[in-house]
Amino acid sequence: MKNIILVGKPNSGKSLLFNQLTGLRQKVANFPGVTVELKSGQFGDYRLVDFPGTYSLKSLSRDEELAIEKLHEAMLSDATSLVVCNLDATRLERSLVFGLQVRDLAHKHNKGVVFSLNMIDEVQRFGHEIDTEKLSRDLGCAVYALSAKSLIGLHEFKLAIQDAAEHPEDFLPTIKADDESSVLQISRSLSKRYGLKADIVLKKQNRIDGFLLNNVLGGVMFFIIMFLLFQSIFTWASPLMDGVEMALGDMAAFVSNSLPDGIVNDFITDALFGGVGSFLVFVPQIMVLTFIIGLLEDSGYLARAALICHKPLSYFGLSGRSFIPYLSGHACAIPAIMAARTIESPRKRLITMMTIPLMSCSARLPVYALLIAVLIPDTQYLGGLLNLQGITFFILYFIGIVTALLVSVLLNKMTESDKDKADMPFILELPTYRLPHWKPLMHRVLTSGKQFIKRAGPVIFWVSVFIWVLGYFPESGELQSSYLAMIGHWIEPIFEPLGLDWRYGVAILVSFLAREVFVGALGTLFGIQGADENIAGLAANIQADGLTLGAGIGLMLFYVVALQCVATVATLKGETGSGKVAWGLFVGYGLLAYCMAWLAATFI
Amino acid sequence: MTLWEIKTKQTALIDGLDPTLVPAVMQRLTEMGFASGQSIQCLRRSPFKGPIVLQLGDCVYSLEQDIADRINVSMN
Ligand SMILES: Nc1nc2c(ncn2[C@@H]2O[C@H](COP(=O)(O)OP(=O)(O)O)[C@@H](O)[C@H]2O)c(=O)[nH]1
Repeated sequence: MKNIILVGKPNSGKSLLFNQLTGLRQKVANFPGVTVELKSGQFGDYRLVDFPGTYSLKSLSRDEELAIEKLHEAMLSDATSLVVCNLDATRLERSLVFGLQVRDLAHKHNKGVVFSLNMIDEVQRFGHEIDTEKLSRDLGCAVYALSAKSLIGLHEFKLAIQDAAEHPEDFLPTIKADDESSVLQISRSLSKRYGLKADIVLKKQNRIDGFLLNNVLGGVMFFIIMFLLFQSIFTWASPLMDGVEMALGDMAAFVSNSLPDGIVNDFITDALFGGVGSFLVFVPQIMVLTFIIGLLEDSGYLARAALICHKPLSYFGLSGRSFIPYLSGHACAIPAIMAARTIESPRKRLITMMTIPLMSCSARLPVYALLIAVLIPDTQYLGGLLNLQGITFFILYFIGIVTALLVSVLLNKMTESDKDKADMPFILELPTYRLPHWKPLMHRVLTSGKQFIKRAGPVIFWVSVFIWVLGYFPESGELQSSYLAMIGHWIEPIFEPLGLDWRYGVAILVSFLAREVFVGALGTLFGIQGADENIAGLAANIQADGLTLGAGIGLMLFYVVALQCVATVATLKGETGSGKVAWGLFVGYGLLAYCMAWLAATFI
Repeated sequence: MTLWEIKTKQTALIDGLDPTLVPAVMQRLTEMGFASGQSIQCLRRSPFKGPIVLQLGDCVYSLEQDIADRINVSMN
């Protein structure tokens, strides 16, 4: 199958266009070694490949370097039949700088090029019109005006690229041989001739910025937005979580009643529903978090957040650009570590990557949620707007962030001597505020849930089965005399100072594979013990069993700090190019976590 | 004077970039439109000498002091 490649600068609406062209069937491929994310989808008989957005064909950050390398490769490849370059019609000058570079590159490699002039709905709203025929002639390439959002011109565009992909030789760019002017000069003069006036385009954006970047109000808004983000993980997600929990509970009861008593019944209710089920409950929460981060990103707010955070973060040796990896680290450390590639300064990038694992990722959510449900009463304040459990959640996240900042300072001090002389500066474009489109957003949300299940599900399944088998035998169902209890008692001295008995010890130990295993493991353990109780109420079981407040808080702190995720260690190793850094962090954060848990258990 | 010194709402003309800038940064700034003769406006400044927000052509950019200090401008 031949490829059509889609390029464009960031915020030109490229992702939405890609979605509209391919529908929701997409594949994200991570190229081994370099892990540049290339999304691809089916378009007619072709594979449409979405390249990461770059501003220029000359790279500034590692992210761009890899994307550009891949683009050059694709240009050389025979499998590429056509290049589609997306332009933002409201910002013609900046889009054309990149567009003309792409055109020249395609010209060099004899590839056909089609330009999509996106966001034409906004141009029309300003009462302006762009003469695409003349623009086509001036560019020496086919240009199609369209809107990926309101779908104007999309049908014609689909037909056009279908045609162009079949006959690329008719779409080779023609460049006037006598044209001596630079890419910059051409794009300036073209945008003057065809584009909108800058002031008109930027008016709305500047008005909103006047509020959101205001010295006082901007800061207040920033904190309100972040606080609401964390509150909503709890409040919005909880009806969904209750739903999943109830459905699982009913299913478990049904299966358990319709099977004869015995080992099979025990296995299904304890290992499957108790272990695997108690982790499925948290999928809605992960999806809500992804939804909000996606909303902030697509609306254009994240760039402002990076700007607001730049100065404060620079005191800790970080960049404003560290903010976005940090924030997405709250969903999952792995994409966040990769997102750190957009940080231009190599040193700040390294420090950001090393501290991302301290952000409370969604795998910790199940653990926090369980422990909070056990320890913290569900008290409401301000008529239900705030609740104590939500606040505790916020505090746990906050502790992770503060620890990350302190570690950054430390790392910064340690690497002071080899400070880059040519440290890359902070340069950021502030995009227009836009209402996000539901389609790519929903796609992202669904993918996050699916990936979470796919990544963690098998591990959790096997761990649950393994623990159940060890906990069930040799005397079917007697946990106290099981193999697991023997192992547990053997490692108990490690966890005793933390005020935790052997069952927690076992759960912590297995959760070094992946944190969310903790809940499943405890679920299995408590399930075996209370064989005929309701499996859904793990929190109630633990409460009844008596976990002290100090030990419980210690346990939470342990999970805030410890790097218990094999996949993150592997990613760190890949991205930093050093196994020493990755395993050093694993051990370092582990020890720190243990100390904090010990302090809490001893002094609370 | 440098870009860092212009006040909020003031407009200036770019004279040129500091030639000692790293070539990659120089190139990027030029592509973003930081070229001699271009008019540039300061939209806002952030507290505690945080990044400055600028309008240049059809885009809004934010630059930190280190870099804004190395772009020469003149008032017209
Ligand atoms: N009005 C309008 N908005 C659009 C159009 N295409 C994309 N957007 C919005 O522009 C924002 C950025 O789009 P996105 O696809 O994420 O840009 P990318 O960074 O180039 O991938 C999103 O909020 C989109 O919903 C369009 O044709 N018209």
